[in-house]
Amino acid sequence: MKVTKIFDKGHQWFMFGRDPEKADSIIDTNQYMIVAGERALLMDPGGIEVFAPMLGAILHHAKADQITDLFASHQDPDIISSLGLWDQALPEARLHAPWIWEGFIRHFGMNNIEYVGIPDEGNTLNLGLINLEFIPAHYLHASGNYHVYDPVAKILMSGDVGAALESPEGPIYVDDFDEHVTRMKMFHQRWMPSNRAKNDWISRVRKLDIEQMAPQHGRIFKGDDVKRFLDWFEELEVGTAIGNDDD
Amino acid sequence: MANMAQNEDKLVALASIAAELHSVMNVAYGVSLAAKNAKVISAQAGDKGLGFQPITDFIDEISQLAIEGVSTINENALRLSKIAVHEQRSYDAYKRFTSVIKKNEDAAYIKSLNPSMDRVETHMIKSFKEFRNSMKDLFVQLEEMDKHMLSARAIASVSRVVTSNAQEFRAKLDVVADNLDNAAVFIKDKVSDSYEHLDRVKTLTREHA
Ligand SMILES: [Fe+2]
Ligand SMILES: [Fe+2]
Repeated sequence: MKVTKIFDKGHQWFMFGRDPEKADSIIDTNQYMIVAGERALLMDPGGIEVFAPMLGAILHHAKADQITDLFASHQDPDIISSLGLWDQALPEARLHAPWIWEGFIRHFGMNNIEYVGIPDEGNTLNLGLINLEFIPAHYLHASGNYHVYDPVAKILMSGDVGAALESPEGPIYVDDFDEHVTRMKMFHQRWMPSNRAKNDWISRVRKLDIEQMAPQHGRIFKGDDVKRFLDWFEELEVGTAIGNDDD
Repeated sequence: MANMAQNEDKLVALASIAAELHSVMNVAYGVSLAAKNAKVISAQAGDKGLGFQPITDFIDEISQLAIEGVSTINENALRLSKIAVHEQRSYDAYKRFTSVIKKNEDAAYIKSLNPSMDRVETHMIKSFKEFRNSMKDLFVQLEEMDKHMLSARAIASVSRVVTSNAQEFRAKLDVVADNLDNAAVFIKDKVSDSYEHLDRVKTLTREHA
């Protein structure tokens, strides 16, 4: 598991991904961790198969009991099917996840961890030294879905939005936006169901001061590429599996 | 990997016990109904059915024992499956934690995983012991059921002798005896199949340990 520190000023952001031991048949995922003093938040911790490499990689940077909080942007298996194992590794932790998915996510096995449902309008998580915002991203692509915004680091962890189907050798940051579009287009057209939801999210996110947009698959957008992404996404017709959208 | 497959086998074998015994329940209810019928018939037969009356009580009793026994056995088989799933989950976590520790000896905070490792290990051992004990109970319950069915068969043949004096009621009472005997044979059969499944579980458990 490759670990990249993407922010380090008072608190740290780590990106985990590009796992060379991962089977080819499962989609490559990026996991993120914020370490803020004595506490840490693990975001979209991933599937069962990445659990061991993830835990191993984490323990180079944080103590197990330091991870007081987990976050799942939505209920997908590549996001949180490892829950049954985290439940045994971090029994004291809390999981922040969409309230509508509680009964579903519990199917992954949760006997110890506490489920903290995030309300539809989103909310703020106090992680001791810092506050993080859970930004609604409903229907992008799951019907209950959030992103994590860190106003100090100016990073938006954007879940499946901005995702690209990437090879495990791919770089961490987007270097050529136009070329990168080829890896994102189909993903967004097919996985994102609603143009209305997309535009609603764009208008909300445009108000945030973002230096890095960090998706759960593919590469991180930095600086002007964040705005480029929002413009590109705005123009893109999504929900294409049923032909032309009606709005 | 072998362990994973064995545990799946174990779960299938446990589910098979519940499946075998499902049909037993209906048969046992049938016998209970027949016993109640027989009571009515032997009451109608008056003196001619005199010898048969205590037998109908016994048939009723044995069908109740079968119904209760089967529910207990089913509950226990289900409990065993649940414990096996828990055990599997702790074992899976234990294996993954072990691999994390082995591959990341150099990690600064590797020792912070120890409390979780200990907890999972304790849980795994506890589930394993619980499994063994419940399995022993289940063997005893199946053996008891087998004994009950043997007595049922003995009663069925005794009742044939008794009904030889029952004249016009004989045919009806014999039907009850036949029903009882068939049911006992059927249940014995299912119990013996269940016993085999449980034996398989036991073997897999020994290999697992
Ligand atoms: Fe997803
Ligand atoms: Fe995803």
